[in-house]
Amino acid sequence: MIQVSNLSFSYTNQPFISGMNFSVAPGEIFGFLGPSGAGKSTLQKILIGMLRSYQGSAMVNGIECRSRTKKFYEEIGVDFEFSTMYEKLTARENLLFFSSLYEKKPRPFRELLERVGLEGDADKRVADYSKGMKSRLNFIKALLHDPVLLCLDEPTSGLDPVGSRVMKDMILEEKAKGKTILLTTHNMQDAAELCDRVAFIVGGRICALDSPHSLILSRGAATVTYTWLENGEQSASCPLGRISSDERLKALIAGNRLQSIHSSEPTLDEIFVEITGRELEYKISDNLKPKFIRNVE
Amino acid sequence: MRLKGLFLSDMRFQAKYGFYFLYAFLTVIYIAVLFALPETWREKAAAIFIFSDPAAMGLFFMGAIVLLEKSQHTPCALAVSPVRAGEYLAAKVGSLTVISLAVAAVLALAAGVGNLHIVLPGTVLSSAVFSLLGMIAATKIASLNQFILWTIPIETACFVPAVLHLFGVTPAWFRHYPANVCMDMISGRIPSAAGILAAAAVTAVLLLYSRKCVLKMWDSMGGSKI
Ligand SMILES: Nc1ncnc2c1ncn2[C@@H]1O[C@H](COP(=O)(O)OP(=O)(O)OP(=O)(O)O)[C@@H](O)[C@H]1O
Ligand SMILES: [Mg+2]
Repeated sequence: MIQVSNLSFSYTNQPFISGMNFSVAPGEIFGFLGPSGAGKSTLQKILIGMLRSYQGSAMVNGIECRSRTKKFYEEIGVDFEFSTMYEKLTARENLLFFSSLYEKKPRPFRELLERVGLEGDADKRVADYSKGMKSRLNFIKALLHDPVLLCLDEPTSGLDPVGSRVMKDMILEEKAKGKTILLTTHNMQDAAELCDRVAFIVGGRICALDSPHSLILSRGAATVTYTWLENGEQSASCPLGRISSDERLKALIAGNRLQSIHSSEPTLDEIFVEITGRELEYKISDNLKPKFIRNVE
Repeated sequence: MRLKGLFLSDMRFQAKYGFYFLYAFLTVIYIAVLFALPETWREKAAAIFIFSDPAAMGLFFMGAIVLLEKSQHTPCALAVSPVRAGEYLAAKVGSLTVISLAVAAVLALAAGVGNLHIVLPGTVLSSAVFSLLGMIAATKIASLNQFILWTIPIETACFVPAVLHLFGVTPAWFRHYPANVCMDMISGRIPSAAGILAAAAVTAVLLLYSRKCVLKMWDSMGGSKI
């Protein structure tokens, strides 16, 4: 569905996005993760043909984004970081308008509105909507024409846990229908739950790309942490794969002396911190003060 | 159909922002003023009102509409939709022209201006020219203050010669200036073939250029400076 090779782009004359290579298969949910200002939205804007002065190649749905025509958009649904609704029109009027722009017959609004819990506010002006209501409305706007590719930029921001659950379910339903989804989010749990693969973007470059599961595994095995009483509470931990050789743990189990025991896996959150942290450090060591950092270490 | 959808939504937008109400109100005022004037002045006054209000207001309202849309980020949504720049333009210009046409018809009838078959096409022509100019200015600017600054030279260049022309103060070589041709038609005079040709040429150039401006505005929504 998407093939990106040697993609570079800059808003100014300083290089920004550089040397990106990746591809996204049809039916995949592909996540963009990374710190604020890393270039996630910029990359999405390139892939939806809004920024066309890039170098390299970005093919979406068989079309080079640089030379897309307006027809390209019949099959693309975009949910921006901000609301793009006519504020004085009601939600229903907005949906009616946006759906009239496509050749395809629109999906029934009522169903979509009901799904995201806006059926009671459909005739309210968008200006009177709360932040989360606007997010939900903009999200269903992207689904209206049933596009094969969805570009969602932080769709769950500003939503309560229930609203965000509903939206995640709807995203998974689109995937089940075979739609391809690009998803930017700062919520690592959402990313781990939804995405088939994620790309970590730092400073305009992809510095890790894999399934959340492999990323988590690659970071190291799960560990077991246990506590017991011995001159107050003591605690220790060992890797899950080696508990049989932890003599102390075995003794504690044999004597029924454990206070608590639990296993923990590294989370995508920790991986985020590690990857982005490492990347920043790498940049300093690479560009500025290699000797200094080595000496300190 | 896409054009129809755009057109209807523009009309709805204008109704919601009170354009129709405003125009209805202004029309009543204009008629009151027309009837307060001596009868011999009425036709010329009606021509000035029609030229200045429904026709020329296209410039201001187009600016206001596009600025409002920009502030609500809707051009972003249109930039990633199948809407073509030409359709966007046609819907905006068309919907504003409908208002101009309605007001012009009422004023012309009230003032007893004959030749409606020339006055009304004249109104459409002026309305199109002014709203295209408004679109061009609006795509290039970000604030209302800037917009007003832009419109002053445009208004002066269109309005002053046209009013002078109405009162017969026009050098011969300047007769085919498009604003003068518009004023000719709005006051019910049959324009010369050369005048029509000049006006049509200017309208065509404005159409092409404003279409380019819309495309550029959509492109700039991504943040690209190129
Ligand atoms: N229109 C623009 N013109 C110039 N620079 C821009 C423009 N938009 C973004 N940038 C710059 O590009 C960089 C990346 O911005 P981008 O919006 O892609 O970040 P992001 O990864 O989406 O961040 P966030 O998580 O905060 O949304 C930033 O340094 C930003 O200042
Ligand atoms: Mg962003």
